[in-house]
Amino acid sequence: MRQATLTLNRIWLIMLFATLTTWGLGEGGAGGRLAMLTMLAMAFIKGVLVIDDFMELRHAPLLWRVLLIGWLGLVTALIVLSYWIGS
Amino acid sequence: MARAFQIKVSFNMQHINELPAVEPHLRGDLAIWIFILAELLAFGVFFVVYAFTRARHVELFNAAQLGLDRNAGALNTVLLITGSWCVAHAVAAARQDRQAIAVRWMAGGLCGGLAFLVVKIAEYQAKFAAGLSMDSDTFHMFYFSLTFFHFMHVVLGVGILIILLFKLRAGAYGSHDAHGLETGAAYWHMVDLAWIVLFPLVYVMH
Amino acid sequence: MKYSSQAVAKPYFIAALGLFVAQILFGLIMGLQYVIGDFLFPHIPFNVARMVHTNALIVWLLMGFMGSAYYLVPEEAETELHSPKLALALFWIFLVAAALTVIGYLAVPYATLAKITGNDLLPTMGREFLEQPTITKIGIVIVALGFLYNLSMTFLKGKKTAITTVLLLGLWGLAIFFLFSFYNPHNLVRDKFYWWWVVHLWVEGVWELILGAILAFVLIKVTGVDREVIEKWLYVIITLALVTGLVGTGHHYFWIGAPEFWQWWGSVFSALEPVPFFAMTLFAFNMVNRRRREHPNRAATLWALGTGVMAFLGAGVWGFMHTLAPVNYYTHGTQITAAHGHMAFYGAYVMVVITMISYAMPLMRGRAANSNKAQVVEMWSFWLMTVSMVFITLFLTAAGILQVWLQRMGDAPMGFMLAQDQISLFYWMREVAGVVFLIGLITYLVSFFVRGEDKAA
Repeated sequence: MRQATLTLNRIWLIMLFATLTTWGLGEGGAGGRLAMLTMLAMAFIKGVLVIDDFMELRHAPLLWRVLLIGWLGLVTALIVLSYWIGS
Repeated sequence: MARAFQIKVSFNMQHINELPAVEPHLRGDLAIWIFILAELLAFGVFFVVYAFTRARHVELFNAAQLGLDRNAGALNTVLLITGSWCVAHAVAAARQDRQAIAVRWMAGGLCGGLAFLVVKIAEYQAKFAAGLSMDSDTFHMFYFSLTFFHFMHVVLGVGILIILLFKLRAGAYGSHDAHGLETGAAYWHMVDLAWIVLFPLVYVMH
Repeated sequence: MKYSSQAVAKPYFIAALGLFVAQILFGLIMGLQYVIGDFLFPHIPFNVARMVHTNALIVWLLMGFMGSAYYLVPEEAETELHSPKLALALFWIFLVAAALTVIGYLAVPYATLAKITGNDLLPTMGREFLEQPTITKIGIVIVALGFLYNLSMTFLKGKKTAITTVLLLGLWGLAIFFLFSFYNPHNLVRDKFYWWWVVHLWVEGVWELILGAILAFVLIKVTGVDREVIEKWLYVIITLALVTGLVGTGHHYFWIGAPEFWQWWGSVFSALEPVPFFAMTLFAFNMVNRRRREHPNRAATLWALGTGVMAFLGAGVWGFMHTLAPVNYYTHGTQITAAHGHMAFYGAYVMVVITMISYAMPLMRGRAANSNKAQVVEMWSFWLMTVSMVFITLFLTAAGILQVWLQRMGDAPMGFMLAQDQISLFYWMREVAGVVFLIGLITYLVSFFVRGEDKAA
C-alpha cells in the first residue's frame, strides 16, 4: 500500500506543477496558439490523473475509463476547435 | 518437497497487498457514476457553449477576462487539487483500517473545499463591488454562470465530505466496507475535474 | 389486491377514464373548428372548448395519480390506507367540483362565471390551464391536502420504500407548486414568470417523480426483478429529471421579458431534459429483459414499455427540437409547440396512468390479468391510440414547420390567418387521426367488458 500512497503524492506534485505552468503562462500574458494548446494539454494531463488515479478508473472496467477520458478529450478538442474558428 | 514449496510461495505473498485487484472494479456506487456522467454532461455542454460563444466575441472576451482575478482562480485550483489528494489518501487509509489517519486526511480535504468557497465568495464580492453582474455582458454572464454552477457543486461536495468525515469517525468504513466512502469521494473528484477544465478555459486562455 | 382499502382506487380510475372521453370529444370539436371556424358557434366557442379539453385532461390525470397512489401506497407500505372513507369523500368532492366547473365554462360567459364565483375577492382566473374559478382552485387545494394527509399517514404508519418516498415527494411537490396558481402579479412579465412555476415545474418537474414511481411499481410487479435494482434506477432517473428540469424552466423565459441570461441557462439545461426520459426507456426495457417471471398481464407490460418510448419521443425528442433559444425564436407558440405538447402529455402521463389502470383494475376485479381475448382488444387499443397520436404529432409538426416558414421567415412573411389557411390540409389530416384516437379509446373501454377465461394469480 506504500506503493499506492507514493503514487498519490507524486500525482499531486505533478498536478501542482501543471497548475503552476498554466498560472505562469497567464502571468506572462501568453496568448496565441501555443500557449492555448499548452494549457489545454496541462488540463488534459491533470484530468487524466484525477480520472485514472483519484477516481481509480485505471482499475475499473474499460467502459468507464473510455467514457470519462473520452469526455475530457472531446471537451478539450471542441475547445481547441473553437479557438481555431475564432482566430 | 511440499514444505519447501510452501515457503517459497509465502515469500511471494508479501507483495500481494500491493497489487491492484485482479478483477476490473468500479469504485463507489453505480448510481453516483450515472450522476457523475450527467453532471459532466451538463458541465461539458456549458464549457463548449462558452468556447464557441467566445469565438464570436473574441475581443470582448479577451478584454473582460483581464479583469478576472487569476490568482484567486489559481489558488482555488491548488485548493481543489490538494483537497482531492487528501480525500484519495483518506480512502486509501480507510481501506487499510488506519481510522485516525483517514479522519485526518478527510478533514484536510474538507478544509480545502471550505477554503475554496471562501476564496470564491471574496472573488464575487470584489466583482459585485465593481458593479459587475450576470447582466453586464456576455462574458460576465458566462463567468458568473459557470463559476456559480460549479460553486453549488462544491457546496454539495462539501456537504458530502462532512457526512463522510462523521461516518469515518464513527468507524463506518474500513477494509471490510469502504463503498460509501468511495462513492462520496468519486463525487468530490468530479467537482475537482470540472474545475480543472474551467480554470484555464475561463481565467487564462485567450 | 392485498389490502381491501386499495379498492378506493376504482372510482378514481373510472372517473378518470370518463373525463378522458370528455377530453377527446372536446378535442375533436376544436380540431374541426380549426378548419370550420364557426362550428358550434356560439354555443361552444373555441376558447370554451379549449378550456374543457385542457382542464379535463389535467383533472383526469390528477384522478389517475390519486387512484394510482391509493392503490400502490398501501401495498408498498404493507398496511391499510389510513382512511378509505376520506378517500371516497374526497373523490366525490373533486368530481362534483370538476363537473360544476365544466358546466360553468359551458353554460355562462366566462366573465359572468368570474363574477358569480367571486373572482373579484381573490382574482386567479384568466390564465391558460388555470381558468378555474378561485373557489374551484381552493377546492382543489382542500382535496389535495386531504389526499396527502391520508397517504402520508399511511406512509408513516407502514414500511417506507423508495417508490413511496419518491411518489409522495412528487405529490407534495404537485400540491405546493399548485399554490402558485393563486399568485397573480400585476406585472405581466412576473405573471408569466410564475405561471411556469405551476406548469413547467409540474410536468417537467414533480410529475416526473410521480411517473417514475408508478412505472417502477408496475415494473417490479410484472417483471419480478429485484426491488433494489429498480429503486436504484428510480433514484438516478429522478435526480436527472430534477437536475435538468429545475433550471430547465428557463426555456420558458426566453422571450417574456426576463433577463437575457435565461436564453443561455434555459437552452443548456433544457437540452439535457431528454436524458432522464432516455434513462426511463432503458430502464423499462432492461427490467423487462431481465424479468424473473412471465406475468399474465402482458397488456400492462406493453403499456409500461410504451410509456418509456413515447415519453422519450414526445417529451424528450420533440421537446429538444424546439428548446434551444435560436430555434425557439422562430417556433415559439406555433403548431410545433402543439405537436410536442400532445405527444409529451400522451406519452408520459396519459400512458403511465393507463399502465397503472391496466395493471391494477383486473386485480381489483379479482383476477391477476384479464382473459387473452380482453388483452388482445386492449393491445389493439394501445396501438390505435399510440400510432394515431404519432400521426397527430407528425401532422402538427408539418403544419408547424410550414407555419414558421410562411409566417416568420423569408422576405415576405405572411400574417397569422393567411398562414393558417395554408396549413389547413394538415389540420384535416390531424382531425382524421384524432378520430382514430377516439376509436382507440373506445376500444380500450370495450376491453374492460370482453369476456373469456381470466388469468389467476
